[in-house]
Amino acid sequence: MRLASGVVWADRIGMAALAIVTGFSILLLVAPSLIVLAVSIEPRGYISFPPSGFSLRWYEAVFANRQLTDSVLVSLRVAFSVMLVCLALGVPAAFASVRGAFAGKGALNAFLLSPQMMPGMVIGIASLFFGAYFAFRASDAMLILSLSVFCLPFVIRIAMARLAGLDPRLDEASANLGAGKLETFARVTVPQLAPALLAAGAFTFIEAFDNVTVALFTSDVRARPLPVELYYLVQFDSSPVIAAISSLEIGLSFLAMLLIARTVGLDRLGR
Amino acid sequence: MSTEALRPPPSRPLSPRRGAWMRPLVGGGLWPAVPAVAYLLVFMVLPIGTLLLFGFVTIERGRIVGDSFTLEPMLRALSDPLVWRLMWRSFWVAAASTVLCLLLAYPVAFAYGSLRGVWRTLLLVAIVSPLLTSALVRTYAWLVILGGRRGILNQSLIWLGVIDEPLRILNTDWAVLIGMTQIHLPFMILPLLAVLSERDRRLEEASLNLGASRTATFFKVIVPMSIPAIFAGLALVFAVSYTNFIIPQLLGGGNYSTLAVQVYEQTIVVLDWTRGAVLATLLLSTCFLFVLAIVSLGSRLSRWNEVRR
Repeated sequence: MRLASGVVWADRIGMAALAIVTGFSILLLVAPSLIVLAVSIEPRGYISFPPSGFSLRWYEAVFANRQLTDSVLVSLRVAFSVMLVCLALGVPAAFASVRGAFAGKGALNAFLLSPQMMPGMVIGIASLFFGAYFAFRASDAMLILSLSVFCLPFVIRIAMARLAGLDPRLDEASANLGAGKLETFARVTVPQLAPALLAAGAFTFIEAFDNVTVALFTSDVRARPLPVELYYLVQFDSSPVIAAISSLEIGLSFLAMLLIARTVGLDRLGR
Repeated sequence: MSTEALRPPPSRPLSPRRGAWMRPLVGGGLWPAVPAVAYLLVFMVLPIGTLLLFGFVTIERGRIVGDSFTLEPMLRALSDPLVWRLMWRSFWVAAASTVLCLLLAYPVAFAYGSLRGVWRTLLLVAIVSPLLTSALVRTYAWLVILGGRRGILNQSLIWLGVIDEPLRILNTDWAVLIGMTQIHLPFMILPLLAVLSERDRRLEEASLNLGASRTATFFKVIVPMSIPAIFAGLALVFAVSYTNFIIPQLLGGGNYSTLAVQVYEQTIVVLDWTRGAVLATLLLSTCFLFVLAIVSLGSRLSRWNEVRR
């Protein structure tokens, strides 16, 4: 079979265009983070690219800045609490929506995942107004409660995907061999679920740690979490110290990514 | 349930009720979802109800003044040309960035489907790592890249001799568009990845064997197959772009405003909560309408495809 040469050329141009756009997109995806990393090692007091040398002075500046280190502690505390709340609420909920057999399961799933459809800002402002109604001010507690709404669907989605992939016959086998419900749950179901729990925990932790859209409205003014602190810093300053703290955040997210890759696989995140 | 029927009856004579309290958790009931549902009702549904309500009442010191229901703030916002201008800008910036995301994402997802081994993993890392990096950090990166004379883009372009004078990109629509597109790109790639990497290759082979060119195969076999994923990505990226206020604020500069930016300003800076609530209600409802339009267009297109086949 012989094709018209015009068609072959069109194919070649098409393939080339595809390759060029792919390359450009990949560059676009990774370049900003790499540039932040490069700027953070700049020895001089202003941004230049490529960096004029190598120094860790901006990292030292981060650790010497009491306001920044305090905000990191706030963020760590808040993110850890949000992770616990979301795991405690989300994992059982995922059980009901995967294993449950009752009317209205579709509606339940839609409701459980509905915070995904809410912009962070709307969750933040709504919590602020609702709290004000009870004279409950923006605080660590309000931040944790509102961020948990925002993060709950992440845990539920990852746990649901894993649960749906488990073979229920393993549970039945365990029961047939004489194990009770509790024993089956603890020794058969939980070990199979563990990787998903780790991944869900890591993802939730990072999302809570990095969140600014909810936190701007519900965090304590006197004890700002890191993203809020950075948000105010970035507006007035672009010194390499921000690049240094950003690089530390990038390092943290890389750790989370490794954990997720080792447990459920990175390609699972989008589903 | 079937487990009940399959279990040999007297297997645990010593403690027949052992683990019975666990039954609600592992049985087939609604029970384990109750805490999460209650949590969302109290900390999401009620607060959002309050938010919607706040636009229609008079508020003093965070409290509703008794019996003050009024449509006036909403009517005032709807008759304010500024609100419509802001909404229009929110819309077109989000729409343009969503389309750009699709154009940039599709080839990446397609390439992922044809890669194997280490390259595939590396590409996946490149796609996912921005997703796990704080959006604020990436917005800062764009400040550094696009910023004035010292901005990395201008420095490089001048060094390469492409331009003599630094381009003014920061604090324009372009900066917002570029930042938004890059920051939301992974949201578009991931749904496509799932479909394109698990596609049935025999369809393409059949198309090629029957004499169709690669280009024709791409547009007539592969793209139609991925229409549901395309529209899922479009809806998601549009929603997050339309409601994002950080990127317009930081990359658009102090005088740049969109509907979402105004919601923030009214609530946090001006402290006019009624106005903030009204604008947030408009933002949320228009966002849902646009997303609904995208989703229904998607399902219509994929139905039309089914029929055509």
